[in-house]
Amino acid sequence: MIDTLLAIARKDLIMFFRYPINAVFRIVEPIMWLTPAFFLGRGFSVDGTATGFAAYTGTGDFFSFILLGSLLGAYISAVFWGIGYSLKMEMDSGVLESNWMTPVPRLAFLVGRTLTSLVVTTLNCTGVLLASWLLFGFSAGGPVSKAMLITLPMLAGLYGFGFAFAGLVLLMRDANTLVDVSSFLVGELSGRGFPVTVLPRALMVISLVLPTTYGFDAVRALLLGTKPLLPLGVAAVVLVGFMVAMLVLGGMAFSAIERVCRARGTLGMH
Amino acid sequence: MNERQDAVVVVGLRKVFERRARRGLLRRAQGEVKTLSAVDGIDFLVKRGEIFGLLGPNGAGKTTTIKMLCTLLSPTSGTARVAGHDVVREAAKVRSSLGTVLTGERSVYWKLTGRENLRYYAALYRIPRRKARERIAELLERLELAGRADELVEKYSSGMKQRLALARALLPSPPILLLDEPTVGLDPQAARNLRQTIFDLKAGGKTVLLTTHYMAEADELCDRIAIIDQGRIIALDSPAALKEGLGAKEVVRLEIQGEPNGLGDALRALALVESVAVRPSVNGAGTCELQVITSNSRRSIGPIIESVRAAGHEVVHFQVVQPTLEDVFIRLTGKSLRD
Repeated sequence: MIDTLLAIARKDLIMFFRYPINAVFRIVEPIMWLTPAFFLGRGFSVDGTATGFAAYTGTGDFFSFILLGSLLGAYISAVFWGIGYSLKMEMDSGVLESNWMTPVPRLAFLVGRTLTSLVVTTLNCTGVLLASWLLFGFSAGGPVSKAMLITLPMLAGLYGFGFAFAGLVLLMRDANTLVDVSSFLVGELSGRGFPVTVLPRALMVISLVLPTTYGFDAVRALLLGTKPLLPLGVAAVVLVGFMVAMLVLGGMAFSAIERVCRARGTLGMH
Repeated sequence: MNERQDAVVVVGLRKVFERRARRGLLRRAQGEVKTLSAVDGIDFLVKRGEIFGLLGPNGAGKTTTIKMLCTLLSPTSGTARVAGHDVVREAAKVRSSLGTVLTGERSVYWKLTGRENLRYYAALYRIPRRKARERIAELLERLELAGRADELVEKYSSGMKQRLALARALLPSPPILLLDEPTVGLDPQAARNLRQTIFDLKAGGKTVLLTTHYMAEADELCDRIAIIDQGRIIALDSPAALKEGLGAKEVVRLEIQGEPNGLGDALRALALVESVAVRPSVNGAGTCELQVITSNSRRSIGPIIESVRAAGHEVVHFQVVQPTLEDVFIRLTGKSLRD
């Protein structure tokens, strides 16, 4: 199975670099997006500290807060785009059926298609961290390995979410809008670009229901020393529970929808 | 697959689609759900090592049948077994026993080379790397793609893309091949080469189930043919037996000037005329072609020509020929395969 997943990733990577300009821009783009956040933070800071922001979060380092949010948000996008959009691409280009006529389980295709996305996102994030360190003086003060560990169940849980989402793409035969909206909403409501404590009550309820919120929060608490919403141990349990529940439910949802599409005969349609 | 087992066994297979009417901005018009029986309770079996054809016009249910056999579509009812495995309950085993080429060129990645495509699909079929390398080289050679194996598929001709799709299907050395309209879109030379490849596959012990709407192709390639129309199999036998089934019938082909309004009915009313099919001529000269199946051309040719002239048409050309599979289809359905 590992060989199969690697073959899918290798194929995607080859195709990714068959469009070299797109490949270069995918890696450079996030650095461009983050630059305004740095200057915005500086504009609101007094002696390098955004005091109003610090009252909400416990840190006056606005740029680092946004930077970590963007990096984690990039992984959310990688899973959504990797699963949803690539599925739609295969439908459009006519290769979905030839892939699905092989004995490989359907869910393995979905996971395999995210691997290149994750590799590219990791390259992006490394580049962004390096640029942020060189240009804006970013440094993480806390335990990086612990922060990485806590993101793993969050990422795995997102895969489960992605499976159900892939089912939706299969059913609706639309990906761009679905991926854009879902990825944006999940990212923003998880606190990618601001502390969720600033949200109005109704939106904050939604935000607190999303387990990804606790993932973002825990990473920032570990690396930047922000005030966490939940004790870190509890956040870790929430994320592991999210992972198990989403992987099971997402897998079941995808299989059920795929059966419906096979009955309707819409698998190869776009 | 057991020695005595048939390669494909289909019993009472049905596929019914629900189609909702759509109106303007309203995606669905309420209450207007129509059902379409794409495949309507068909039975057939494909013996090991034979080339079996599903012959019928577009929309007859051929592709729907193939898609059910290769597990891309679930049947509404009935059963189908491929290499002894049920297509619903043992879908993964069915997929392992099959190589399938669906119609169209886009079943491979155009931004990969031919070799990269095959390497990718070999991994999906879990062929060990060393064995895959050898198998890919062998298939590229056999399907005359070796010289351009490292070029992007987007630069291939239609025939090359189709051969690459066939190479993909042959990668796991499946005992059974499903080929959906394998020669559609190919030039005559490429189609001829592909037909030879199919013969070679049969000689190598493969079972081939193919669909086609080209009568000559079915006649040339297939050991047995199921003629399918409107989701039903209306005849099943060897090409020779199907033609013999017309008995001592002959076919009078007439090319006439103008639209044959009502002429078909007038000809059908003649003694000795069994059936008549009308289709526009493809030569762009404003003529139409009539195919009249008769039990005695010598006695019926006179009345036929008289009827044509009486209807105000000029006979441009006529000939008496031996029946073809198309004539069998006309006899069975009263219409041409190209209608």
